[in-house]
Amino acid sequence: MANVFSTIGDWVTERAPGLMPVYRKHMTEYYAPKNFNLWYYFGSLALLVLVNQIVTGIFLTMNYDPSATGAFDSVQYIMRDVEWGWLIRYMHSTGASLFFVVVYLHMFRGVMYGSYKQPRELVWLLGMLIFLVLMAEAFMGYVLPWGNMSFWGAKVIVSLFGTIPVIGKDLVEWIMGDFLPADATLNRFFALHVIALPLVLLLLVVLHLAALHEVGSNNPDGVDVKHGPKGNRWDALKPADGIPFHPYYTVKDLVGVGLFLAIAAFIIFFQPTLGGWFLEHDNSIAANNLVTPAQIKPVWYFTPFYAIVRMIPSALGTAVWGVLGMFGSIALLFALPWIDVGKVKSIRYRGTGYKAALTLFVLAFLGLAMIGTDMTDELFPKLFGQDIDITAWDNNFGRVLVLIYFGFFVFLWLYTHLGWEKTKPVPERVTTHD
Amino acid sequence: MANEVVDQGRRRFLTTTTAVVGGVGVVAAAVPFIKSWEPSARAKAAGAPVTQSLKKIEPGQQLIVAWRSLPVFIVNRSPAQLAALPKQDPRLVDPKSDGASAQQQPKYAQNDTRSIKPEWLVMIGICTHLGCVPDYVAEMKPEPFDPNWQGGYYCPCHHSRYDMAGRVYQGVPAPKNMEIPPYHFVDDTTVQIGVDPQGAA
Amino acid sequence: MIKRYIPSFALALGLLLGTTAAMAEGPELASAGNNLRDTASLQRGAHLFFNYCVGCHSLKYMRYQRIADDLGLTEDDVMNNFNFTGGKIGDPVISHMPPEDAQKFFGKAPPDLSLEVSAKGADWVNAYLNSFYLDPKSQIGWNNLVLPNAAMPFPLWELQGEQVPVMAAAKPGDDPQVASLKLLHPGRLTPEQYQQTTRDLTNFLEYVSEPAALQRRHYGIWVVLFLLAFTFLAYLLKKEYWKDVH
Repeated sequence: MANVFSTIGDWVTERAPGLMPVYRKHMTEYYAPKNFNLWYYFGSLALLVLVNQIVTGIFLTMNYDPSATGAFDSVQYIMRDVEWGWLIRYMHSTGASLFFVVVYLHMFRGVMYGSYKQPRELVWLLGMLIFLVLMAEAFMGYVLPWGNMSFWGAKVIVSLFGTIPVIGKDLVEWIMGDFLPADATLNRFFALHVIALPLVLLLLVVLHLAALHEVGSNNPDGVDVKHGPKGNRWDALKPADGIPFHPYYTVKDLVGVGLFLAIAAFIIFFQPTLGGWFLEHDNSIAANNLVTPAQIKPVWYFTPFYAIVRMIPSALGTAVWGVLGMFGSIALLFALPWIDVGKVKSIRYRGTGYKAALTLFVLAFLGLAMIGTDMTDELFPKLFGQDIDITAWDNNFGRVLVLIYFGFFVFLWLYTHLGWEKTKPVPERVTTHD
Repeated sequence: MANEVVDQGRRRFLTTTTAVVGGVGVVAAAVPFIKSWEPSARAKAAGAPVTQSLKKIEPGQQLIVAWRSLPVFIVNRSPAQLAALPKQDPRLVDPKSDGASAQQQPKYAQNDTRSIKPEWLVMIGICTHLGCVPDYVAEMKPEPFDPNWQGGYYCPCHHSRYDMAGRVYQGVPAPKNMEIPPYHFVDDTTVQIGVDPQGAA
Repeated sequence: MIKRYIPSFALALGLLLGTTAAMAEGPELASAGNNLRDTASLQRGAHLFFNYCVGCHSLKYMRYQRIADDLGLTEDDVMNNFNFTGGKIGDPVISHMPPEDAQKFFGKAPPDLSLEVSAKGADWVNAYLNSFYLDPKSQIGWNNLVLPNAAMPFPLWELQGEQVPVMAAAKPGDDPQVASLKLLHPGRLTPEQYQQTTRDLTNFLEYVSEPAALQRRHYGIWVVLFLLAFTFLAYLLKKEYWKDVH
């Protein structure tokens, strides 16, 4: 058996001598810092979910009907009549939410350990592009089941572009191909969701990894192992604190994959709607252009950004400010490497001001998510009495959070450009705990 | 860095075990995807038995009905067509349908006319070569493809020919006689396709 | 090293489950208390549906065949007791009331109930079936606490009996609000029997809204256990390889 493999290997190498070096460069001879912690599982998990979405997505298209009259029925057809169709759909719908869970955690890891800083700015920019495309991909996928939430979600999100002065109204009709979300809208979203955006996403992921492997991985200490001492048990010229990605991190990631899949399987088999968080109750009602659902809000992963739109009031006769705020909140993340120019990367050795600011930022993000999901509508009366004006509380609370969100970037700019930060000494080499 | 000697045996054992268990998982995960290609509940429901009245089919006429989306030929064979059947035997691949075509019809239709009642032919109109639908060429006159044509079926795709019982002629690409579906007569003028006669399994 | 993260993991998981539970349903509805694994209850619910509901409501995504397979009924049972429209065993359950007639009688077509529990929740459906009361102001004579001004007359009245509202003391100027319901004329069933009846009907409708629920619970436990076993093996493998690193 082993002989057969090596014969095939030789045969391929003879004809494509460049393949094995590529494999070695990215796997067995890619030296990653040896001190990765739990936060470093989410990159490989994101890749795993991407594969899951592609495979299950391909099988869903085999029975899905992208027409306004057939879409909703075809989803029920998949759920009931297609053998195991329910499993394939739940894997896809659960995967969509878990994609954002791992991507948000992956991004937070990057922020926390300064992975966006020199020399990894390109890795960060490509990653942010992935996030942006992923949001578009998720939104269009959400529209496809053509339930009532799909329909009204599509209408509201597309209407965001209607706030652009002068061209807004024409732009909205152009995006929808009709005056309301309709057959034309569904068809183009389907094409983008299953072909165009996945191709872009795959390309960006390859570039993201290629850019990473050029500069090497960061780590929880933010120390560049490439600049440390040389020589390890595998190679005398490679970083002393680096270990080959394969087999060490492949077997480690395998543990994460197993645990992650167990959690995912639990959701898929026992709580596929997750109480309305992953699949919303109102989407069990077919699209109806005459009745808006009682609570219209996006899926949980969009809620922080949606809350920013809601919290910024219209002014000068236009609602464009909220939309600008939302896009600005994402644009600022793109600019993070140039806003934060502190030399120390990891939160472990950064100043107290940074730690406090990042904590507040995360709390603001979560708080905005709570407002976006309308959780505060139930929470505030419980905390502050039944008679309060919930809208006013929401607005006041939310606007403070929006200020904190944007304030984080302002503070970070001042803090690092003006040299206010008092950092701790960074160790020469990575530290390990186990 | 540790200097202890690596226990290669344990390492190899764990690698193999994990790979095998993981492989089993991947194979198990593939099963639902493979099974999702089986006929769905809707397809099965659409494949339910089809009942057809025979009242309006004149001798020599053919009616095509869909059963499981397949074209089913129902022919009222004329006495002349029936009389021509035995004469074809020397030119056929499997005239008694007991050789290569033994599985092409239910037991109750494995006879000289390949039918329950001699005049009524009920047959799935799919060429056994590559699955085209053969044309019904009823007239007994010399045809470009056969100067001794006695009526039957001619496949436009690769020129396979069958007689009026769906039996395949020699020297054409199709290997077997056309398939006879399970069917039975509900009464004298009604046939149901998809269900065997009572007592016949 | 992993041990250090267990508390924060537990906290995150607790928060997630806690908020999920809190958000799942509105607070005021009592739990329906139905159980999908109770096949007898599902069978009773199916009989109730086909006796009292199918006259107006369809289950357009549900095939007779599937009901027979999942509820342990024979095809003859289903065709004789449930199928009143002459459809085939593979056909979906379609009410024999033409939608135009329904529009005329009730002002709106009775909704298809295939996904009612998915959309509204089992608790809501169960509460709805328990909340009809006599209302002289309503054209059809009935009203409902859970869905005010419902267009639907109460089909189970001979089972439950007739309820009348008990009004709450209203502030001057406000319309009086219904505080609770009182059974005026008992029906054929005792209140306990009637609650069991609506629970069975709700159970059947929950099954109908997602027939796959029976399968997924059946397979789920084995999938999760298998993955946990795989994780354990992978953990041993990782420990073994990482002896090189420390």
